[in-house]
Amino acid sequence: MKINSGERKRTFLIFILFCLWLLFVGWSLVRIQVFEYGKNVSKVRSQSNRTFTPHSKRGTIYDSCGEVLAISVKAKSAFLSNKDKADSLRIYNRILRQKIYLTRNDKQNIKKRIKQGDKFIWIRRKLSDTEYQRLKKIKFSDRMESTLDFIEEYKRIYPQNATACHILGGVGIDEQGLWGLEYSLNDTIRGKDCKVKVVQDARRKAFKLQYLEKPRDGKDIYLTIDSSIQFFVEKELEATVKKHKAKSGTVIVMDTREGEILAMASFPNFNPIDLKYTSPEVIKNKAISFLYHPGSTFKIILASTALEQNLCSPQQTFKCFNGVYKVKDQVLTDEKPYDHLTFEEIIIYSSNIGAARIGERLGRKRYYEGIKRFGFGTRTGLRLPAEVRGIVNPLKKWSGVSLVFLAYGYEIGVTPIQMTRAFNVIANDGYMIDPYIVKAIDGVVLKRSKKQKILSPGTVVRMKAIMEEVVKRGTGKTTRIEGIPIAGKTGTTKKIEKNKKRIHYVSSFGGFFPAQRPRVTMFVVIDEPKDQFYGGDVAAPLFKSIAERLLIYLKIFPELDKTNEIKL
Amino acid sequence: MKKAKLPGGMLVLMTVIVFILLFTYLSLNLKTVDFGYELQELIELRDQLQEEIDKLKSDKARLLNLERVEKVVTEKLGYQYPEPEQFIKVFDTEDQGQK
Repeated sequence: MKINSGERKRTFLIFILFCLWLLFVGWSLVRIQVFEYGKNVSKVRSQSNRTFTPHSKRGTIYDSCGEVLAISVKAKSAFLSNKDKADSLRIYNRILRQKIYLTRNDKQNIKKRIKQGDKFIWIRRKLSDTEYQRLKKIKFSDRMESTLDFIEEYKRIYPQNATACHILGGVGIDEQGLWGLEYSLNDTIRGKDCKVKVVQDARRKAFKLQYLEKPRDGKDIYLTIDSSIQFFVEKELEATVKKHKAKSGTVIVMDTREGEILAMASFPNFNPIDLKYTSPEVIKNKAISFLYHPGSTFKIILASTALEQNLCSPQQTFKCFNGVYKVKDQVLTDEKPYDHLTFEEIIIYSSNIGAARIGERLGRKRYYEGIKRFGFGTRTGLRLPAEVRGIVNPLKKWSGVSLVFLAYGYEIGVTPIQMTRAFNVIANDGYMIDPYIVKAIDGVVLKRSKKQKILSPGTVVRMKAIMEEVVKRGTGKTTRIEGIPIAGKTGTTKKIEKNKKRIHYVSSFGGFFPAQRPRVTMFVVIDEPKDQFYGGDVAAPLFKSIAERLLIYLKIFPELDKTNEIKL
Repeated sequence: MKKAKLPGGMLVLMTVIVFILLFTYLSLNLKTVDFGYELQELIELRDQLQEEIDKLKSDKARLLNLERVEKVVTEKLGYQYPEPEQFIKVFDTEDQGQK
């Protein structure tokens, strides 16, 4: 076949063009791969690689039955990127028309920042689901995807509302623990944020994940608290505080043998999500930080120490000077005058003069050692913040009347939890155990402190019998429950204040039941009741009402009339 | 000296092997990327499910909130707390009521 010159020329031209195209492609490849290599690689990496820091999830707090007390769930937080002030203002005005909770302060602040031209402005953090849906509509209906946007964060939820609020405490906006266990166990619950590198394709779909820093989710916490007990204890406490128009009140319920805190309630209470709006006085966990004179409840310590030292016997008689007894320049009085009382009657009828006489027999040094042995002046070791040690003056600071005052619970500062621990010694056959509230962390049961024997069995038997009599015929009669022997002791303390215009009182009652084989130790303190003030009138009835509900809940059956029994 | 010549068959075989290796490498690479996508989807699904579990847990706890339950039981259903005398002790003669 012959090729004419025209065809040859055209073929040559195509060949030249093809060569030029090849050269161009080759040159482009060299330019991209060699000369602009660094620039292009960084460009690709910036488009396909994304590094971000997801927040670790805060651990969940459970009660002893596995009920959730505090949990973190994901929530959206809304912000304005404020690229254009007019757009931002328009969006903001639309947001205001929606039912999004914003304080007046928030509103002013947002408007001011939009006008200032700030690039990033929080609208509201941790929105509820309905709030998020409303804002999402604005974002898409106004085609303002880039002006109004959302970030995912964790939000702490307390499903039981105020239940166990003083134990749980609360967290701040950035999930940092601020109070209670949320604060004291913050490092354990919080976990550690991680850094993740994600490689994504052109459609921003991730296909490779690389952890630059290892993540660690917060650990779950299991408490000894039983939320059912906690609930009705709080309810009964609230009713008593309101009934007596008291300033505050606290109740501690403890498992006698194990030292587990089953409930620890204080009133007034608060909802943990409103922590930042709550006054410090309300937030304070009174069970561990309310310092007060224990009054007559402290006679239990005096009596136990005296019996343990074999210096007294329950039937020994003491002169009680018909209700007025002078020690140095101080005059001690009794509510009811007694000429003589036996050792046990002094406790049963709560005679201050009788207690002072026992104290004198016991002596300063022995009594001081006894007080220290019961753990006063030391923290109980609960993992809660702001527990106070209490005040126990060293022997060298004792005045001439310190011994008699201490005999009936003055000149010493104690906390309700210390009193619970002390009462539990008698309930627990003379063994002192430190109460605890955190049972396990992430399923690992925590080691507990060893129990320590501080009272002999003989003393325990005598003390139980005396405390039972307090409830049967003494100052604690209002606690009596038919069929259930209760051992306890009342306390009424005058509050010593600088401004003595009005005298205030602290009413308390501590005890355990069933008296001979106790399962529960409980301590009740009511601060500044207004109408009545005796421990037997204010604190003891509260003890009784809680005990009645505990008996049902813990299936402790009273020895009732046989007609009420059905044998299967 | 005569140069040793590779036989044509050998050349074809080597080319085939090179191509097979190349395709294996490429297909493995593609598979890795596919697994990456799949893994990422599973991670997202796991996170979503975890989120769902947490939400359900909190909802359950909120619904079982004793204050709420008590309100429903006493106000809606009209139940009342029993009086102490209304309790009847029932026990098995074998365990002597120790339960």
